[in-house]
Amino acid sequence: MFRATLAGLRARTARMVLSSIAIILGVAFVSGTLILGNALNQQVHDEFARQAKGVDVSVGISHATNAGDNTKITQDTIDSVRKIPGVAGADARGGGDIAVIKPNGKAASAFVATIESTPQLQEFDLVSGAFPKADNEIGLDERTAKSLGLGVGQKISVLGPDDKPVPLTVSGTYSQGSNSLSLSDMQVLLTPSALSKLDKQSGLYQIVAAAAPGVSQQELADRISAQLGKAFSVQTGDAFTQDTLQHAGQGSGGLTQFMLIFALISLVVASMVIYNTFTILVAQRTRELALLRCIGAERRQVFGSVLLEAFVMGLVASVIGLAAGIGLAALLEKAIGWIDGSATSVSVPMTASVVIAAFAIGVLVTVVSAVLPALRATKVAPLAALRSQLDTHDDVRRTGVLRIISAAVLLLGGAGIIGLGMGLKDQPNATLFTVGGGTMVMLLGVIVLGPLIVGPVNKLLGALPSLLFGVPAKLATANAGRNPRRTAATTAALVIGVTIVTMVTVVANSGKQAAAAQVDKRFPADFVVKSSVYDHALPADLATNLRSNGKIAQVAPSQMAAVNVGQIGDEEATGIDPSAIGTMVNPKMVSGDLHQLGPGTVALNKQAAGTVKLGDQLVVSTPDGNKTLKLVAVYDAQQLTDVLVTLDTLTSVAPKATGYYQILVKVKPGVSTADGQAVMDQATANIAVADVTSAAATKDQLNSQIDSLLGLMWALIGLAVVIALFGIANTLGLSVLERTRESALLRALGLTKGQLRLMLVIESVLMGVMGALIGVVLGGAFAWVLIEALSNPELQLGLAIPGGQLGVLLLAAVIAAVLAALMPARRAARMSIVAGMAEA
Amino acid sequence: MSAVASDVGLRTAVQARELVKVYGRGDTAVRALDGVSVAFAAGRFTAIMGPSGSGKSTLMHCLAGLDSVDNGQVYIGQTDITKLSDRDLTRLRRDRVGFVFQSFNLLPTLTAEQNILLGLELAGKKPDRAWYDTIVDTIGLRQRLSHKPSELSGGQQQRVACARALVARPEVVFADEPTGNLDSRSGAEVLDFLRMSVRKLGQTVIMVTHDPVAASYADRVVLLADGRLAGEINQPTADSVLSALKHLGA
Repeated sequence: MFRATLAGLRARTARMVLSSIAIILGVAFVSGTLILGNALNQQVHDEFARQAKGVDVSVGISHATNAGDNTKITQDTIDSVRKIPGVAGADARGGGDIAVIKPNGKAASAFVATIESTPQLQEFDLVSGAFPKADNEIGLDERTAKSLGLGVGQKISVLGPDDKPVPLTVSGTYSQGSNSLSLSDMQVLLTPSALSKLDKQSGLYQIVAAAAPGVSQQELADRISAQLGKAFSVQTGDAFTQDTLQHAGQGSGGLTQFMLIFALISLVVASMVIYNTFTILVAQRTRELALLRCIGAERRQVFGSVLLEAFVMGLVASVIGLAAGIGLAALLEKAIGWIDGSATSVSVPMTASVVIAAFAIGVLVTVVSAVLPALRATKVAPLAALRSQLDTHDDVRRTGVLRIISAAVLLLGGAGIIGLGMGLKDQPNATLFTVGGGTMVMLLGVIVLGPLIVGPVNKLLGALPSLLFGVPAKLATANAGRNPRRTAATTAALVIGVTIVTMVTVVANSGKQAAAAQVDKRFPADFVVKSSVYDHALPADLATNLRSNGKIAQVAPSQMAAVNVGQIGDEEATGIDPSAIGTMVNPKMVSGDLHQLGPGTVALNKQAAGTVKLGDQLVVSTPDGNKTLKLVAVYDAQQLTDVLVTLDTLTSVAPKATGYYQILVKVKPGVSTADGQAVMDQATANIAVADVTSAAATKDQLNSQIDSLLGLMWALIGLAVVIALFGIANTLGLSVLERTRESALLRALGLTKGQLRLMLVIESVLMGVMGALIGVVLGGAFAWVLIEALSNPELQLGLAIPGGQLGVLLLAAVIAAVLAALMPARRAARMSIVAGMAEA
Repeated sequence: MSAVASDVGLRTAVQARELVKVYGRGDTAVRALDGVSVAFAAGRFTAIMGPSGSGKSTLMHCLAGLDSVDNGQVYIGQTDITKLSDRDLTRLRRDRVGFVFQSFNLLPTLTAEQNILLGLELAGKKPDRAWYDTIVDTIGLRQRLSHKPSELSGGQQQRVACARALVARPEVVFADEPTGNLDSRSGAEVLDFLRMSVRKLGQTVIMVTHDPVAASYADRVVLLADGRLAGEINQPTADSVLSALKHLGA
């Protein structure tokens, strides 16, 4: 029996190639994702390990007790450590944000780190020039230097504590290390003393020390600890390394988990293709299997034979898939490096778990998919060896009661789960997963129901081509409908892919619409000027300048400060220009009147108000001042802070909050967006931190973010769709083999080669469109359910059907179906009539 | 023309001249047809007979334009079909030739009626209703027209195939062992029908068979052996055919 199976495998190699491709793609996707995940984790690991490189003792401020509460690392601390015997070198490390002025005159926030003077302790690799040594020098990360267009010896300014530009010289460029995913902002290096001069907020947080030869880490740590006292926590370099690597643990899990979900979908689709292939192969081999049974093979042996075939196929496909996965991972790493402009070294770390996963998945999916067909093979009666007619009732029937019952159970169960999810409105994530899961269960129900659906749908879809192309189309429709179970199984793979694509697309587009609405809500103004650097406020005279411009109708500056509100607690307060109330500041009101906001009054957001009532007197205070204010209004708006006062009131409570946090600007009617932008650019030309955004630009930015996410999803789910199309090509190819005599008969009766090809192409397109159409309808419906589930009074999502994108999807299905039919059609047309008629 | 076997005084429907068909190459080459010249009169029922491997099926395939020839010509009417492109050959089969095969004559996805009309539909022609009714009544399957082939008996399937071959009024009907898969009663029905179509409807029928009884339904039997013409019998009976075959050493 074993030998018969292997001989059969050899004979049917060609028939299995296409279905193997489905498994190969699935395995490649999974193993590629896992390898990429490992590589990224390795990079993060290296990145973190780099911090601990060469460090023998690490000193931080103790958080264990209150001992370190008011402790700071100062130059004195460093000096005292350096004097300890056994210390070969010691340096402070610090970091924070600093405002770098870009060549276009605008400021942007950059992450700043300090450079150690002891070479052994330096955590960065020099690329060109030298590390900064003096306070007027700055080092630029390679990519930052590239994006700024600066090189060694050139000047760049940063904003000092008084918002005045401080010119610095680029001493050199350096590389951050191999991890390019997590570090995407601007990165610069300063000496510790330059950092403390330029940015009072950024502190030194660590001292690292290297031991002199012959001094152990523990010895040195003990000596330093004795010198510095309880306010500092001291650990050995080894312990520091351990700590650091623990942080690295949660490196890049998100991306790989996200990709694994899609890999899983691909595998489900691939398993349907395999299932279908084996079903068809078993059907075609009915006579062969019956002959085996006639000459004494047991049912068990027939079953084993089919499964063995699947096992060998899965094994071969896994090997190829794993190799493809390695290539895929390398390609993705290259792509990631290319996107963020870093020369990432490509590594494909192979672990046993990746290899095991690849083989387990490839072999398991294939064998499990073949179980049902193998069971069917055991039901072949020995007498079937004498039967020759295709499409006997056995093949076509059996869309019976069991199918309807299980479909009903799945559909009702799915609906139930959705209903359950709808009840979880207060937990958006739980709702998303429950409702999403419910729709997937319903999808499964539809798939089970498939054989009953394809008949009518096929008749409906076949009507148009029959009108256009006549007989070949009629024959194609008849062929697509002749074995509903086969057609259903073939299209099911496509249905799954297209349903999910449609769902994601419709939800994303609805989200886009909701986002645009949110932007309108948040941007009652035409332009918003904000500071691009945290804690650098906009100068007050900017508002005055803008007010005097003839094209501007209204200017509403505001400032923010952290305040304490008696009865409520710590809150963020916004001081607004009273003239903006009702126009640019126009939240939904719960009670009271916002127009009463003036000297001595305050308004609260509903969520903060709690038990406080209108007319209550509230003490609003900061360390620098306080006022008792009467509550005159309660509003309900997510986009505003919880406390609203006038600008004057805020200044009296928080005198240190000078300048403006943002300025809302409305242009006069008739002024175009471009003109308005020009006016704004001109007014802010000399203010480095001023960042002008328009409502239109914000919408564009949001949309492009959603679009690129959608693009990624399309690319990921695209693979499942590709696998599904291989399934169509596969089914069609096998059907053509099965129908060799029919094709020959048709040719004999006067069907031209062209018409024969057309017939197969139409059959393929019918299956493709059927799958895509059912998918689009289901996906649309599921998206609607999901949108309903995610909508709440604050975020109303409306169903937005992107006709264009779905049209492209359907068109792509048609084109792909045509492509899928090319090979089988060619083969069918090439077959000689006489040889075809002679085929058993 | 002296080498051409023919019915004197009748219009020729199909004619083969010096037909050569070789399968394989070199040492393994087999001359399935080795210079066959034969003519078939219009309005007559001719049977091609011969032992297995005599080339009778190959001759029919070449005559009908189903297979290419290596040398010689085949005329259907005035057309030399060996010079036609695949497309023209397909059209010729569709418009001017009818076929009945041994088995698997019908598309399983179509009903009996759809199968009968398939050739006409392929040609984009409307059936002549009166002619169609005549044929359907002759095969006696009016009640079963809406049935799929799997719901018909073997004899019924072959009669439907005959009806399909005749409905387009082709110049010639080729039948390749039309009774080979049938019991003798069903076979007789099919042969009666073919003979009737010649006698009453003026159809030309060329049939390949190895069954002397089937051949006895024909007006004339052409005998083939080793790829060459080996004689003919006019107004054959089962016995005359059998003795002729014995003479050939079959």
